[in-house]
Amino acid sequence: MKNIILNFFFILFMAVILALCIRGIPGTPTEQDLNDSKWKDEGPFELSPDRGRFALMMSVVENNSFQFSLPIARFAAPDVAYTNSHYVSLFAPGVSFLIVPGYLIGKMFGVGQVGSFAIIALFGLLNALLIRAISIRLGAHKLAATVAGLVFLFATPAFTYAVTLYQHHISTFLILLSVYVLAKWKGIWPLAIVWFLTGLSIVIDNPNIIFMMPIALFALGRFFVVYHEEHKIKIQFKVFGILTLLTALIPLTFFLLYNQAANGDYQQLSGTLTRAKAIDAKGNPTVPDIGSNIDAASYFRREAENKSVGAFFLTRNLLNGFYIHSISPDRGLIYYTPIILLAAFSFPAVRKSNSLIHVILVGVIGSIILLYSMWSDPWGGWAFGSRYLIPAYAVAAIFLSFALTVFRKNQFFQLLFIVLLFYSVCVNTLGAITTSRIPPKVETLALEKLSGREEKFSYNRTFDYIMENRSKSFAFQTFAYKHMDAWQFFIFLVMSILSVTMGILIYFWFFIKGRIKHEI
Amino acid sequence: MKFNKGSLEVSFQTTTIEKLTRIAEKYSYAAIVFLLATVSIFSFLVYLENGLGLSYNDARSHLDIGRRVVEGLKPGLAQLGSVWLPLPHLLMVPTIWNDFMWHTGLSGALQSMISFVGTGILIYHFLKELKVGLLGRIVGISVFVANLNVLYMQSTAMTELLLLATMTVAVYELLLWSKNEVTYHLVKSSFWIMLATLIRYDGWFLFGYVGLLIIILTIRKRGFKVTEGIFLAYCTLAGFGIVLWFVWNQLIFKDALYFVFGPFSAKAQQNQLEQAGVLATKGNLFYSIQIYFYALVYNSGAFTVFLGILGALMLWMDKTVKSSVKIVTTALFAPFIFNILALYLGHSVLFIQGLSGNTWFNARYGLMMMPSFAIFIGYLVHKSKLYSLVAIGLLLFVTYFSFTSQDAVTIDDATVGSSQKNVSEVSGWLSQNAKDKEGYILISAASHDAIIFSSGLPMGRYIHEGTGTYWESATTGPEHWARWIIMRTNDTNDLTFKAVSKTPGYKLYNKVESYPFADIYELKSEYLKQLNTKPNLPKQR
Repeated sequence: MKNIILNFFFILFMAVILALCIRGIPGTPTEQDLNDSKWKDEGPFELSPDRGRFALMMSVVENNSFQFSLPIARFAAPDVAYTNSHYVSLFAPGVSFLIVPGYLIGKMFGVGQVGSFAIIALFGLLNALLIRAISIRLGAHKLAATVAGLVFLFATPAFTYAVTLYQHHISTFLILLSVYVLAKWKGIWPLAIVWFLTGLSIVIDNPNIIFMMPIALFALGRFFVVYHEEHKIKIQFKVFGILTLLTALIPLTFFLLYNQAANGDYQQLSGTLTRAKAIDAKGNPTVPDIGSNIDAASYFRREAENKSVGAFFLTRNLLNGFYIHSISPDRGLIYYTPIILLAAFSFPAVRKSNSLIHVILVGVIGSIILLYSMWSDPWGGWAFGSRYLIPAYAVAAIFLSFALTVFRKNQFFQLLFIVLLFYSVCVNTLGAITTSRIPPKVETLALEKLSGREEKFSYNRTFDYIMENRSKSFAFQTFAYKHMDAWQFFIFLVMSILSVTMGILIYFWFFIKGRIKHEI
Repeated sequence: MKFNKGSLEVSFQTTTIEKLTRIAEKYSYAAIVFLLATVSIFSFLVYLENGLGLSYNDARSHLDIGRRVVEGLKPGLAQLGSVWLPLPHLLMVPTIWNDFMWHTGLSGALQSMISFVGTGILIYHFLKELKVGLLGRIVGISVFVANLNVLYMQSTAMTELLLLATMTVAVYELLLWSKNEVTYHLVKSSFWIMLATLIRYDGWFLFGYVGLLIIILTIRKRGFKVTEGIFLAYCTLAGFGIVLWFVWNQLIFKDALYFVFGPFSAKAQQNQLEQAGVLATKGNLFYSIQIYFYALVYNSGAFTVFLGILGALMLWMDKTVKSSVKIVTTALFAPFIFNILALYLGHSVLFIQGLSGNTWFNARYGLMMMPSFAIFIGYLVHKSKLYSLVAIGLLLFVTYFSFTSQDAVTIDDATVGSSQKNVSEVSGWLSQNAKDKEGYILISAASHDAIIFSSGLPMGRYIHEGTGTYWESATTGPEHWARWIIMRTNDTNDLTFKAVSKTPGYKLYNKVESYPFADIYELKSEYLKQLNTKPNLPKQR
């Protein structure tokens, strides 16, 4: 009973914080007012990844079509593709379909946009719960696991992307749920869920299949059981396990049908279509107006030629990409979420445990970091922190729960944890309630020439935003602004998060008697 | 095998498994040799087919040097020249007389290919000596083999693979000596170092470094006297090549240090670069490390470098490994130290696109640590138990992308960097217009070896710096010897222009073509009667 109540308050707390931070403005945009600045640059759809996914959802719900009308295409640009004389989404369709219920429910209450964003927040909350569940299942103390879930959700860039419309939390959810299923249930029939999630991962975002590979390979291993008998080794292959693979066909079939309907070819991935970075007054795709003499035809030909999957990822980018993700001032996790680095403290204990699930988790982190270090745009465009690493933060949080468990009584670790927690929560709360429009450092010089002022390229940009008494939080913009300014709103959120987290930590560190499992 | 309740069951007797394991161990060596040879031949054919095998200007020059030993107006060992060490060219001599072997580059590539196979086998043996299991050995070899830069370079007439093989075997033999103290292994190590010193100057550094290691390994255990004896014995054999090189320079060029200070030396080249302000690494240790580190990462792969360093640390921190083994394995980092030192002292130049302007030059130097990383990664896999699955999986992952993106910095170095020379216009002209006509072509091999190679004409058609009295005669009275002159007009670095422009005979030529790379001059037809078209000068010694 006590556990149920505690779990309920844990979920309620996260839900309330997320609800307070979800970005948005009242109303449900129509095609005609989508391109108003109140929805775009000044509003919740400040960047094209948000817009692109919302555009497809609107097109499907309002127009019953995968091809975009002109207003929707303009709204989605520059992340819109042009193929077979139609504008279509440049993104995998999964996110757009998943947010439909949220949009429809929100629309009923006059907040369709907020409703669609709320679906992502729900996945964020589920991810925190899954981190907790997986950590406990793998041996971490339940309070350490709870803190790890909170750290992931509120002390990493996952916070910012839980209150806006990106694919990261859904991708993370698929990874975590697969791991949870494998950790909780033995046998082959739960694998049906894993295969389904693996298939679904491609529909959410194409690169997800790479991160699901270690999990899928582990699941494949379940088809084989090895018995050691006297003078004999017996290998059992569960033939009927192959039937579980059929569940992957469900999302994959949908995906292929979507590609056929939208892109004209079932094998044509949306991301490999020719991008229409701008649309002229007549509704034709054109080149961006960047003051140079670029011929549109040659521009589109070049775009089409460069659009093979292999061209997106270059091994030569690894070093620079890793630098961007780790220590660069514009995206480095050392600036945005240094607390997650404390997960490294868990490695000696994890290594000793010799658990295959841990090995899989390390493989997932490694594949995410490597893939997005090879990516030609490791910055993630204009973004808050290293958004591509959000699934890696989730997995790292599981290891963090181990570090918290193992070093429960280590004062140096406790102090370090508190300091980094405070810093990370402040930085990420700022990002969640302000803006994600932080340019990469490489673009700031050109920007400064255009704007004639200093352009910041780190989270200090969000600090300026809040000091101008601005916040993109729906709750702030509709009712909280009447009672407090943006800075006070920020302080309220930070204090709430830190109070709850520190409360759990203090209880965990000082009020649990005796030695717990794995503690050194 | 039987089917039971929806499962297929297969049983193996443990004795069968043990037998299969023994067979796998027994035949793994032969299988590896076969696979390495297959990959080597296949890669060569791929790069021959697409023309990239001869893209490096240096590759063409190496082949020409080898050819000049056996064919030309003054064939002989003196054509081995100075600056570039002689062994790669000597190894070409048995085959380069054949036009096919010359013009396909196979004469030079053959030693690279054999070295590639040899290095793969050495990695296997090295890891076996470190008590690494079969999986670790296979991973180690695979890391080396599945590197596009290695595959490309082993298909060319460049010297990198030959150097890697000799250096790796030298360190391997040193490892054996350090473990069992059998002098024969030290002799073999010395022999291979001697060969390395005749391939590239990296071998000279290895000579010094290994000498130091020998002192460290011996002095504590066996005292000063024994150390002195072993050290001198080592230097006598290992340093023999270095001594021979000084003697060679003295005999042929009358200056034992000609290879250091001569007009074609690396120092001369570096001086020009320094004057142009592009030798930025000289005197700047941090920049030298940065440049070489990038070359390393681009050649080996960032993830490979990361795992390699991790593997090295694991080896050096492993308490079960003897300290002598740890000391010897530091020699695997000798290329890293050498290259940084060379950059810092201004003896080497390396351009990395993005760091040193918009071009590549000598980026291939970063390949020198590949066998070392392969060995360390094999060790890492062996020691990591379950986590070896992560390392192997992620290595496969990165390797897949390196092949799909065709990311080979050595190919960029060869095709877009300063190491490439598009001489096809000049060589094409010669091939069309000079092939069926009598007469010599006066050209500076130092500047235009690529043209000589690419023209497809016999070496004997060319009068160049190495042809002794023919060169002297042609550069003082070109109208008597050269029907065509290839040179960069007004470029005093071009020795042909430098000499010929001062002669009265220069006026007797028409400039028939002007290309970005060089100009072509032809003797006016009214003067053809006085032209020598046969090698009628007395035989030169």
